[in-house]
Amino acid sequence: MKTLSRSLTGILIFILIWQIVALLLNKPIIVPSPTETLKTLWRLLADPVIMAAAFQTAWKVFLALGLVLVLGIPAGLLLGLMEGLYDMSRPVIMLIQAVPVISWLSLVLFTWGPSWEGPVLIAFLSLLPMAILTTVSGVRNLDQNLLEMARVYEVDKKKIIKDIYLGSLLPFIIAIIDVSIGHAWKVILVAEYLAGNSGLGRKIYDARYFVAVADMWALTLIAVILGLLTERLIKIGLRRASKKWMPA
Amino acid sequence: MDASLIAENLSKSFSTLKVLDRWNLKIEKSERIVLLGPSGAGKTSFLKMLSGIDSPSSGSLEVFADKIGFVFQEPRLIPWRTVRENLLFVNEDGKIDAVLEKLRLKGFADYYPGQLSGGMQQRVNLARALLLEPDLLILDEAFSSLDLPVKKSIMEDMLKQWQVKRFTILAVTHDLKEALYMADRIIILSSRPSRIVREFTVDLDSCRTFSSPELLALESQLLDIVFQDDAYGISHLSG
Repeated sequence: MKTLSRSLTGILIFILIWQIVALLLNKPIIVPSPTETLKTLWRLLADPVIMAAAFQTAWKVFLALGLVLVLGIPAGLLLGLMEGLYDMSRPVIMLIQAVPVISWLSLVLFTWGPSWEGPVLIAFLSLLPMAILTTVSGVRNLDQNLLEMARVYEVDKKKIIKDIYLGSLLPFIIAIIDVSIGHAWKVILVAEYLAGNSGLGRKIYDARYFVAVADMWALTLIAVILGLLTERLIKIGLRRASKKWMPA
Repeated sequence: MDASLIAENLSKSFSTLKVLDRWNLKIEKSERIVLLGPSGAGKTSFLKMLSGIDSPSSGSLEVFADKIGFVFQEPRLIPWRTVRENLLFVNEDGKIDAVLEKLRLKGFADYYPGQLSGGMQQRVNLARALLLEPDLLILDEAFSSLDLPVKKSIMEDMLKQWQVKRFTILAVTHDLKEALYMADRIIILSSRPSRIVREFTVDLDSCRTFSSPELLALESQLLDIVFQDDAYGISHLSG
């Protein structure tokens, strides 16, 4: 309760500072007042087109995240188990990690033009190296005592992978999702803005194009709230699922 | 009597470090053997060779057991699996409920290891080994971290199972009383590179108590032997 009231006080102070800056600057084209922005936010929240755009952004985030988990974790598991393959793949992974988002943007624009695939691919590529490398470090941090126990009891390899490897990797998978979800929102919004044909990022682009600054900030607020909300819900879900056995 | 294990001139080295030096040992089926020796005397290396996860540097080691149960020093339970799932991990066809009942774990099958005390986790460690219905049960300082009442209670339960199933027991410990409580024969080892310096037959009936005068007398006798043979390398410490 105390934390909540402190957080609310913080938000109120932020809005107050925003109001003061808006008044002092008196340039709504740069900083619209919070009252105007909140009024616009209210209007946009009731607009089905904006809600559809929010949904389009959200599914792209989940699709990119899903692809990162489905492809990144098995790849990381494989590379963690096979040192030679890891040494071979590491430069490529580092290369993908180092390529700036704008280069991917150019590539997807040339390939698809403004599309939904572009943002998903860009988010996927910018998160994949981290997912692979985190999984590799998870495999390397496996409890050797458990593996030795499995060897002593001559347990089947498939069972070892399922029961020991995947279980040990769960905290690392949680870490991947923790880091990825916030990052995915931001990358998808940027990619939608620059190379997308739908979603909140595209709506922010349109608002900028028509110099609807209050709309731009209200859309940003919607994106922030949605991002934080999904991040929070996913984290709570994951923590609950692993609470029973995760070391405190 | 059939042998359960025969070691002939068994040696083990890790690069230049010699750990085991020409062990000759024969263990009969259903015998209860305790290896008693200082830390670093290669007891765990020997057990690893027995369980097949390591091999001798020279000499031979023959194990005549189809199923080997291993009770580790730490419970080594999978934290994200329940007690039942941990047991299923090593044997899907075992009589889990019967084993849990015998080891006073009835009602804990659906608990996670983190929800159990250290003593209970060690019981699950033992249950996992007994679930295999082993011919040879290996105990690697399995009770060393437990307090005396818990240790006594688990050892009693294990020995009850031995009375019924008559598997061979090979245990490693530092604890003289623990050794006397469960062994028919105690193998005394020197410090590294370890040699078998002496064998000590425990001439007590199989129903023993920790505080019986006979066991305490043997403990003092065994203590004399350990010091006399300098099995723990104490003379090196005192210079």
